[in-house]
Amino acid sequence: MAPSTHVAVGDRVLSLSNLDKVLYPETGFTKSEVIDYYSRIAAAMLPHLQGRCMTLRRWPNGVDETSFFEKRCPSHRPEWVPVSIGPGNEHEGSRKRFVGDDNPIEYCRIEEPAALVWTANLAALELHAPMARSVDLDTPTTLVFDLDPGAPATIVECAQRALDMKRIFDAVGLVAAAKTSGSKGMQVYVPLNTPVTHRECSDFALGLGTLLMQQNPELVTVTMAKAQRPGKIFIDWSQNSRHKTTIAPYSLRARPTPTVSTPISWDEVSDGADGANLSFTAPDVIERVGRLGDLFSLVNGTEQELPTGSNH
Amino acid sequence: MPRAIWSGAISFGLVSIPVKLYTAKSPKSVRFNQLDGRDNQRIKQKRVNASTGEEVPYDEIVKGYEIMKDTYVIITEDELESLSPKASRAIEIVEFVEEDEIDPVFYQASYYLVPDDLAKKSYALLTEAMASDGRVALARIVMRTKEYLAAIRPSDGRLMLNTMMYSDEVVEPSEIPGLEELDEIEVSDAERAMATTLIESLAGGFNPDKYEDSFRNEVLELIERKSKGELTTAVDSSPATSDTVVDLMAALEASVAAAKEARAGHPTGDASKKAAKKKPAKKKAAAKKAAKKPAAKSA
Repeated sequence: MAPSTHVAVGDRVLSLSNLDKVLYPETGFTKSEVIDYYSRIAAAMLPHLQGRCMTLRRWPNGVDETSFFEKRCPSHRPEWVPVSIGPGNEHEGSRKRFVGDDNPIEYCRIEEPAALVWTANLAALELHAPMARSVDLDTPTTLVFDLDPGAPATIVECAQRALDMKRIFDAVGLVAAAKTSGSKGMQVYVPLNTPVTHRECSDFALGLGTLLMQQNPELVTVTMAKAQRPGKIFIDWSQNSRHKTTIAPYSLRARPTPTVSTPISWDEVSDGADGANLSFTAPDVIERVGRLGDLFSLVNGTEQELPTGSNH
Repeated sequence: MPRAIWSGAISFGLVSIPVKLYTAKSPKSVRFNQLDGRDNQRIKQKRVNASTGEEVPYDEIVKGYEIMKDTYVIITEDELESLSPKASRAIEIVEFVEEDEIDPVFYQASYYLVPDDLAKKSYALLTEAMASDGRVALARIVMRTKEYLAAIRPSDGRLMLNTMMYSDEVVEPSEIPGLEELDEIEVSDAERAMATTLIESLAGGFNPDKYEDSFRNEVLELIERKSKGELTTAVDSSPATSDTVVDLMAALEASVAAAKEARAGHPTGDASKKAAKKKPAKKKAAAKKAAKKPAAKSA
């Protein structure tokens, strides 16, 4: 096969390379299959990426080799891939030019199917998105809880805690959506799409996490320290920070099998809490979306406010 | 294989230990050549006369030291030669000092000292004596045309030599704005205790393998990809220069089919294989639940 193939995606032309390269050695899943997945999932996935400063995580030599985060949009991007200024990297001390908002980063925006094909061709298996859109970096459109199980806890316990959260959301009249992380855990999103700050989201997430921890100190922690986590679900509230990102809905993960961060219904969360399989690979997800549509669509469509004191 | 960059002898009272110097550091950076972007030809630098713009032949170039604006004292190579330190084959130890006394700012380049075959015994003896005494040796060494002050210290049964800055080459902190006022700031015991706690919470052993130059790695990866023809650059947007443009699905079809073929029967998570996959996952979860029970009982 020629080193690069020119393809048309809509009215964009781009060149793809090394299509037969195996990116998931354990299962022989190739780059062409990664591109195939992203081009098929684009319709469901793009609404969750559009307008956001995307961070690419690339595995040029497959999931068993080293990866790198790419926040700054590559200068060799096609001219039709737009960029937006986003937050600088607040925790990378050694490389001054990436620090803080003094020298902000130009991120890629993924607005159309061709852009997803382009990032897939860069072996950007994982796409990470911030909670705010680039037009208003200070207003998150969603609140996120990242549920991370400390072994021996698994996604089963994550689903159990997600159900606890759901009961609270139901009580205060908030709509929420769940997805698997595609790795070990889950995320719960609360759509807002109303004026709110990162601080308010963080405070709310920490507050709710702390409440769950007080109810179940054996099962839940809100502390980052690994030592605190064995057997517990770490409710990571800090991903509501302005500079943080969360694995995007429908993104592949760099696991031994090509698993996907998959939106799931609350019924599935409930089954998952009883031990049903919640691990979905790229082909599963294509089939699911064909059958179920985008279970995450309400995240973009729902406007609601956090039950803070000022509102009640 | 590294090559010795100097050979001579450590001279120490009446003792002389023949040694070679090997450089101990190989800083890694990515070096680029400058090219003309229009035809990728190398850029060549020419030395030109600043006044006439004409090129100056190499052997007409002399060294001048600017003593005031546009006024130079010319120093010839011969004059410099006559002043340069006599090439000496000796590393002359002048005294031994406590290692703590030397601020790391003084250290410059690092070298391994390697004994000649016949000198291994005396080298080992000196290394061991210095290690047990806990002191480092200050020595003079001439390399190329410069005389250096150097520190020789034992490290893991070997001797290392560090060339050092002379004291007038180290910038005094008093010359740096904003450093001096720090002396006058007072901190409370509580503040100090908090800072100490913070430091202790981050304390760890020094493990240099943990850190790497990620920028360099990324640049090297980029170079490797580009050298393999994996160009995702401007080519993308200039189909005029490219070969046939095909439909995305058509391009992927063959490759996807080949990959699926290659793992026929392998449960990669094709939708059809899902049922087969679910069971073990359930079992696993059930097994974990079961495993948890006894633990809960014993707790």
